[in-house]
Amino acid sequence: MTWLRRIRFPLLLMAGATLAPLLGRAGFLSESKWLYLGVAVTYAAAALSLNLLMGYAGQISLGHFALLGTGALVSGVVTSADRGGLPFMVALPVCAIVGGVVAFVLGLPALRLRGLYLAVITIGFAYVADQTIFKLNYLSHGSAGIHLPRPLVNTFSFSRTSDFMGILCVLLVVIWQVDRNVTRTKLGRAFHGIRIDESVAASFGVDPRRYKLLAFVISGAMAGVAGSMYGHVYMFVNNESFGFEKSLLLVIIVVVGGLGSRAGVIVSAFFYALFGVVLTHISWLHIFRGFDILIGAALLMYTVSRHPGGLAQAFQESRDRERRGTPDEEAEEPALPKLPEMPRPSGLPERPTVEGLSGSVPVLAAHEISVRFGGLQAVNAASLAVPRNKIVGLIGPNGAGKTTMFNAMSGLLKPNAGKVELLGQDVSEMPAHARARLGMGRTFQLIGLAGDLSVTENLLLAQHVVASYGVLSALTQIGPSRSVERELRDRAAEAISALGFERFANTPVKRLSHGQQRIVELGCVLVTAPEVVMLDEPSAGMSPGAAENLAVRLRDMRDDLGRTILLIEHNIPLVLDVCDELYVLSGGEILAHGLPDEVVQRPDVIAAYLGEPAAAAIVEAEAEAEATPVKAKPAPRKRTRAGAAK
Amino acid sequence: MTEPLLAVEGLRAGFGATTVLHGVEFSVNEGEIAGIFGLNGAGKSVTMKVLAGVVPSRGGRITFAGQDITRLSAEKRVAAGMGHVPQGRQVFPDLTVAENLRLGAYLLRRKDKARAASLLDGVFDRFPVLAERRDQLAGTLSGGQQASLAVGRALVNEPRMIFVDEPSAGLAPLVVQELFATLKQVATSGVTMVLVEQNVSFGLQLADKAHILQMGRIVYSGEVGALDQQALAGYLGIGRMLGGVTSSALAGRRAPSPSPAINGSAAATSAEGEDRVPRSQRRRQARATSGS
Amino acid sequence: MGQVLVLGLVYGVIYSLFAVGIVLVYRGSGTINFAQGEIGTFGLFVAWWFTTAHHLPWIIGAVAALVMAAALGAGFEWAIVSHMVEANRVSVAVATIGLLAFLVAFEVRFFEGGNIRKMVAPIRGTGWSVFGVVVSPTQILSLLAAGALAAGLALLLKKTDFGLGVLAAAQDPVAVRLVGIPLARVSAFVWGLGAAVSVLGALFIEPTIGVFTPGFASEMFIKGLAAAVVGGLTSLEGAFVGGLLIGFVEVGANRVFDFPGVKMFSILFVMLLVLLVKPDGLMEGFKFRRRALA
Repeated sequence: MTWLRRIRFPLLLMAGATLAPLLGRAGFLSESKWLYLGVAVTYAAAALSLNLLMGYAGQISLGHFALLGTGALVSGVVTSADRGGLPFMVALPVCAIVGGVVAFVLGLPALRLRGLYLAVITIGFAYVADQTIFKLNYLSHGSAGIHLPRPLVNTFSFSRTSDFMGILCVLLVVIWQVDRNVTRTKLGRAFHGIRIDESVAASFGVDPRRYKLLAFVISGAMAGVAGSMYGHVYMFVNNESFGFEKSLLLVIIVVVGGLGSRAGVIVSAFFYALFGVVLTHISWLHIFRGFDILIGAALLMYTVSRHPGGLAQAFQESRDRERRGTPDEEAEEPALPKLPEMPRPSGLPERPTVEGLSGSVPVLAAHEISVRFGGLQAVNAASLAVPRNKIVGLIGPNGAGKTTMFNAMSGLLKPNAGKVELLGQDVSEMPAHARARLGMGRTFQLIGLAGDLSVTENLLLAQHVVASYGVLSALTQIGPSRSVERELRDRAAEAISALGFERFANTPVKRLSHGQQRIVELGCVLVTAPEVVMLDEPSAGMSPGAAENLAVRLRDMRDDLGRTILLIEHNIPLVLDVCDELYVLSGGEILAHGLPDEVVQRPDVIAAYLGEPAAAAIVEAEAEAEATPVKAKPAPRKRTRAGAAK
Repeated sequence: MTEPLLAVEGLRAGFGATTVLHGVEFSVNEGEIAGIFGLNGAGKSVTMKVLAGVVPSRGGRITFAGQDITRLSAEKRVAAGMGHVPQGRQVFPDLTVAENLRLGAYLLRRKDKARAASLLDGVFDRFPVLAERRDQLAGTLSGGQQASLAVGRALVNEPRMIFVDEPSAGLAPLVVQELFATLKQVATSGVTMVLVEQNVSFGLQLADKAHILQMGRIVYSGEVGALDQQALAGYLGIGRMLGGVTSSALAGRRAPSPSPAINGSAAATSAEGEDRVPRSQRRRQARATSGS
Repeated sequence: MGQVLVLGLVYGVIYSLFAVGIVLVYRGSGTINFAQGEIGTFGLFVAWWFTTAHHLPWIIGAVAALVMAAALGAGFEWAIVSHMVEANRVSVAVATIGLLAFLVAFEVRFFEGGNIRKMVAPIRGTGWSVFGVVVSPTQILSLLAAGALAAGLALLLKKTDFGLGVLAAAQDPVAVRLVGIPLARVSAFVWGLGAAVSVLGALFIEPTIGVFTPGFASEMFIKGLAAAVVGGLTSLEGAFVGGLLIGFVEVGANRVFDFPGVKMFSILFVMLLVLLVKPDGLMEGFKFRRRALA
């Protein structure tokens, strides 16, 4: 029966679409009340559009009603008798396209600005649209406005609003369906990824710029259609129909409903559109007249400050609490299970592989990388090479530049000088997501997963590079997207059962323990069978037992899965245990390179770790020192100790 | 025995769904320097933040100077006589040195301006560098100078006890030595101190008592003098030493020669031998200690 | 040219008042208060109730409006913002949108805000002609008030312990609590002050515009926001400089171009340009050399 639950909302709307004309003809509700209902449906469509942008992709738009205005005015130009005079059905796709194009332009600043700055830009757009664009003579006869006729099919006119409701409901179902297709394909996962952390998304092969703009375009197309609906409900719009306050109302609707919750924002849209009407028209509520916005606004303030997930989430949480009780915090950390043995998936883009590599060429190599932050030389002409099927360690005291080096190699930051080669190919000019597509997998010091997505969904996001279907196929569910998605799900399920995480498959990752999240992260990196795996402190936060188990798993990865690994680690015993080669980074320079046991005994390496006066000053203030000399009781005596820190 | 100045009982705290502190217990007597040591992630900094009142506790009791402060706000705790040298110094970068110190004395200046002025002179005597640079923006000071400023800012409010979180982080060793000498003087002048330090060697130079934190619980509390390296290594979960390699998994596979830095130390050699005790066994010992 | 300067100055100084409110809140809580303008309108309704409806002197209405607005700002901080310490700053901004909607609804419901109202000017008189522009006494007064406000803020923030605490709280809210400064009080003060400043702006601009309705100050807010952004959002000097710049741009563009919405268009264009080219504002880099106010 789950399928029934899943489509109950569209079912309800379709029922509405059939019933509305019948009820209208039977004289149920007056024409003006049908008008309110019609407006409520357009608000729901608009809320879905904004929800896609804000809730899924995390891009803020405070001028979203201006996009609806664009749709309405374009629809007016296309259909009105003194202009295009074309049918409503022609206007809809035009509105979608124009809305998408305008939103694309609006999204361009989002590539440079985020958060509040982006909000400010979108407000600016709302005002310019309102005061300049919508006043253009061609669009709205100056400020005189434009008439939008109701659709006409043969000789049947949808002039009764109850009849037109049928069309509106069908359109809302279509938008709902498109939205649903977004969330169940790579599009929704990629949006989610860039909202949580663009670097993490890029490490899975998602191009953040492309997907940001895509979110604007899809949202804009939806808004264009919603605007057309809005215009044809009222049958007249002018430049004053789309004021800034309506944009704000839309934000209120989406936030109160719950960012990212499809059903939540629709319920909220109906509530805000109809609440005032209800107050006005029910006699015993008469004293509350004019209180609708007041209550709605108070509700918004309350929601954001006390239930940031919106009403949908508050509802969900209370249901969860009933069902599960509180999570067991004290549960013992499970041992690290076996990592999935994943063959190279079929959908991978064409790329060279380690098998095709001639003997001496390293899988991954950095040549003379230098990174400067302002006056600080974080990495200075550092080179390293990772040979095939080896585990290479990179250690160094705090602030030595290990993670900076990692970021430069994976493309998250652009070095001031130097070259990175992957499988013998120069990738220095490639952004992170392109390197991921070429087979570079990496993990992050703070776990690189989307916390509120489930384990399965994270594994699907991780397979972004394999999801080789187009945007249109994703939106329409026609073409390869269905079969590819099925393959991805099979692979994810396989990985989950290899990890032994079946019971967590649908658990949001943030509910798992730190150690479990680490395992899921490793699973996500391995699921696409990358040519080289870069691990940034995988044992951080693990209990000593789990860290020991990690060593076994890393060796498995090398010996059984044939992987090549570059490993940053603070846990020296672990490094000595698993690494074939070791590099020591200190003060941004490669201090030593060689066999692990030999390297860690070199006096200069020990000095770097112990912070002898000669050693470079340590910069990272909040990071913790990893190796310490211990002065024992009677006389101060130097002893060296590898910190199992971090 | 008199009441301890600070007593922590069954302290629990965490973020979101994760619990970081699972019932931390320790106490600090007047005039003592208590060091809290532990691995990264053991909960040292969270402990300090809960004690300061900037992270809420989820259970347990904190008693300071005979008063239950568990529910007091951070500012009220400062008013009760706590002072803080926070992690990363946290001086106000866009204010001058003098302004930073003026804010440090915010509470005292409302009660007794003259006393505040004399304490300020005391700080300038102790840290002449701050007097020299009193009109410089704190953000432009070096790390060591900022550390001095942070200590000075805590002292001008005449605290009974100061909480020092990771003072050595990011500082060159020589600067650390100087800073620790100052902290020692401060303690000698009668200010009780709680010190969190990742760099155990530095921390042990200063502390009288050591409290070792492991996965959110205190597993050892005692005199610093009673701690030997092996116990310490065990508590900190450090299986091997840099250079002196032993581990249940690797014993026998590698036989490295001691590095020059530790060469010639007989104690070191014997320490290595004892370090071969399997890690699991040491953990068990550690747990047993924590239970007591 | 002279006219542009005079008009730009007269309008720009009002925009800088709104910008100062925005900057204060941004420094205090790291967010933009979208209700900043509407609080000004709310203040106008309060002042109108005293002066026009109950025939009390202007100054009483003005003081009452300032006090009410300050209480409103501080109360909002206490009831909503202080619960959002951990929240994303955009969420806090969304909460202020709730306040904006609330105030508009409140004015409509309880002041029958649909009617068009006029607020009296603080000083009557014909004014003087400067470069062919008639400058009213109110406008002169607004220049003086802005100057006084700038000086007062400088004194407060640099010379008193509490003011220093306000500056420090913007730099490191946790450290402020660790030295014993009651952060909640500092934060509520900042929101209250920001609200009062915007009432000041609304009181001075209303006589120039003539009438007011709910939502009256929302354009002032957008222009003030543009001024604050141009000045770098964190700098109080930047707010004043940005306000004047926006004033000149608006008046100048209105002379040169002729299309609907030219003023708003030019202002937002300048703002977009600054955001894309110098996102930290025009005053960035200036801050460390001269910190008279900020």
